[in-house]
Amino acid sequence: MVKLEFEHRQAGHCESGVTRNLLNYHHFSISEPMAFGIGAGLFFSYLPFLKMQHAPTTSFRVWPGQVFDRATKELGVKTAIHTFRNPKDSMDKLNEVLEQGYPVGLQVGTFHLPFFPPEYRMHYNMHNMIVYGHDNGNYFISDTLMENLVEINYEDLMRVRYAKGAFAPQGRMYYPTHVPTGIDIKPAIIKGIRKTANNMVGIPFPLVGAKGIRYLAGRMRKWEKKLGPAKASYYLGQVLRMEEEVGTAGAGFRFIYGAFLEEASTVLNRPWLKELSIEMGENANKWREFSYLGSRNCKKRGKPDQSYDFLADILLEVADREEKIFKKLATIK
Amino acid sequence: MEENPNPVYKDKAYGQYRELSYSYGDAGQFEKTVGFHGEADRVILQQAWDLFKERIEDARQRVLSGKVSPVVFYMEKNLLDPLNLSMMAGISVWRVKWHFKPGVFKRLSEKTLKKYADAFNITIEQLKKIE
Repeated sequence: MVKLEFEHRQAGHCESGVTRNLLNYHHFSISEPMAFGIGAGLFFSYLPFLKMQHAPTTSFRVWPGQVFDRATKELGVKTAIHTFRNPKDSMDKLNEVLEQGYPVGLQVGTFHLPFFPPEYRMHYNMHNMIVYGHDNGNYFISDTLMENLVEINYEDLMRVRYAKGAFAPQGRMYYPTHVPTGIDIKPAIIKGIRKTANNMVGIPFPLVGAKGIRYLAGRMRKWEKKLGPAKASYYLGQVLRMEEEVGTAGAGFRFIYGAFLEEASTVLNRPWLKELSIEMGENANKWREFSYLGSRNCKKRGKPDQSYDFLADILLEVADREEKIFKKLATIK
Repeated sequence: MEENPNPVYKDKAYGQYRELSYSYGDAGQFEKTVGFHGEADRVILQQAWDLFKERIEDARQRVLSGKVSPVVFYMEKNLLDPLNLSMMAGISVWRVKWHFKPGVFKRLSEKTLKKYADAFNITIEQLKKIE
């Protein structure tokens, strides 16, 4: 029986929430947007050749696991990360680490997660949560998506840790082992901003970053003609689900990133970051408008409410705004 | 810290729980709010689940009329596609699609059937016929 004194806080995005809560346990408190920004979590990619739930994949974030890895690395926090081949080994190791007094972050699949809201139980293997104790085969979980603390039994936990399919977690567990005192977060913020700016405007590939948004806009214009109204609205719905659904804190992480820029401007004492945070907020509101208007198309399966050309124009505007913002951010020193 | 046992979702309707989201107000401030789903979120979630239900029902009809093998039904029931199923069962995509034919499915070995049954978390007897 172990039950650590763990402060649960709800968060908008699972992984940065987990990072924040784990660091907070080791007496280093940063806000959730800060963890997200330093971990360079913001991204955009549109992958038409990779189908997910019968529609092309759109992603508003980086590869799973990167936010925690990058944030702890930039802050100089020592971490331990394990994956296992044998499920039994992974559970033994989990118990061992808990008994040493460390809460542990886990990557899990959501399809079999019993406490998860049923509407989100699709095959999604990139969810993160924290275990902070166990008692007689019952594990105490702090899931940043949920308002309250939850519990899970041994068999269920083993199953979700060994969910199969794309991005299989393979029992991935991670936790900070040593958090130094007196961390200077200023260089970490600058590095995080530069990494994100490079991801968004620096990669010469048409499907990612601001270019990716334009590419999506171009594809969107052809959907209705090519796929028919029902399928076109489903494809649009898929983009919106990735943008607004669980764990994005709204508008595909754009709000949370704006909050990060606002906080960064006060920490670094640079007013021009504050201006960019305002632009980011307006940009995020534009994304919100896009999803609001787009969701009307999803409601009716026949004639769309808004033409796809109109929605594509919003996307082009958003792409221009983001390109401008991140080109400015790339110059940070 | 608040103690709470696992929440129960009695109603199938969406948006039973509150999630945290950020927003940007007119005052030029980023805000955190905890609240239920908005109408727009519900519509897009409902759309995905409608499609899943439709596909399951369609697969059931095709299996009952003998056009495809029960693998298709269980694949749709578990919200999978051939690629994901191949990763879960450890069988290549080509062979998974080949096993969609009822005649081919009848001749499958116990070993292969076991792989599918494990992936769907059911017994081999259940796999051979559908509910």
